[in-house]
Amino acid sequence: MLNRWILIGLLSVSTYISRIIGVEIMAGREMNPTLRLYFNYVPVGVISALIIKQILVPVDRGLVISFPILIACLSTAIAVKKIKKFLPSVVFGAIIGFLTRYFFT
Amino acid sequence: MNEEKRTIKTGFMDALPLAIAIGAYGLSYGVLATQANFSLVGIVAMSLLVFSGSLQMVTVGMLTAGGSLVSVLITSVLLNLRNLLYGAALAEGLAPAKKWRWLLSFGVSDESFVLGSSRFKEYGPDPLYFGIVVVTFYIAWIFSSLIGGLIGNQVDPQKWGLDLAFPITFVAILISDLTEKPAIATALTATILAIGLEYFMPGNEFTIIITGVLAPFVGLYLKRRSQKC
Repeated sequence: MLNRWILIGLLSVSTYISRIIGVEIMAGREMNPTLRLYFNYVPVGVISALIIKQILVPVDRGLVISFPILIACLSTAIAVKKIKKFLPSVVFGAIIGFLTRYFFT
Repeated sequence: MNEEKRTIKTGFMDALPLAIAIGAYGLSYGVLATQANFSLVGIVAMSLLVFSGSLQMVTVGMLTAGGSLVSVLITSVLLNLRNLLYGAALAEGLAPAKKWRWLLSFGVSDESFVLGSSRFKEYGPDPLYFGIVVVTFYIAWIFSSLIGGLIGNQVDPQKWGLDLAFPITFVAILISDLTEKPAIATALTATILAIGLEYFMPGNEFTIIITGVLAPFVGLYLKRRSQKC
């Protein structure tokens, strides 16, 4: 049981250090314009990867496409383009994904 | 409504869809941690102190499978690598918080990074917004972990479609960001890279950080080229 508490303590410290290092290293520094431009595109790259990791589900050392998630994502993308409103688009995508899972899987 | 109140409201409303998804994830974590023989106090303590969904899930998964303390710690370092990138990208937007940065840094994660970076890009530095987002996520994570630990495995987040909230919220944010060719090219490159990495190493923990580091170079190159023309 003591090991569990030691583990929780070590995980909390190592996780916090990983969070603070990036922020503190860059804090208060005048960012090089090229670096700033680079960081401008980091969120797009990371978000795209996060979406792909949700759509592709690892099963038995292979990959399976989650069609409810894929269709929900496509529906949300179309809704954002058409109605240009964040929350209604998310709700629309969730409903389509839920219905896809309910009726087709 | 003054500016601060508006920021608080916007932060909370933006965070809400993801907080629902985090809640669903927290329920699953609580259930799995119970199965890994964690006490209720241990389950909630880990959420309070670590506050990292993916890391906590992997930890209880590894412990259930008989993983050692050392193997869990090594895995945690790998999982946390992307926080370095997130922190560096968020630093400018959090700079006005001065010494409060130490507290706000505790909330750096996939979800807060996505919302924070999107906000900073559009409105400039905004630590208050980031703080509201983090607090909303923190509350959702703690309470859902507690409920998950209490109810065991009586709720299936997939059955209620709660697992859909993460990807669709990310898509809504991403599409809003794709306003120029370099950004679109970055997204396409990232998609191809992520699919390739997942294809050759399914479920690996490096996809996000490798894609996050490499794909922006395409956007940078195209932007620079268009500026020169």
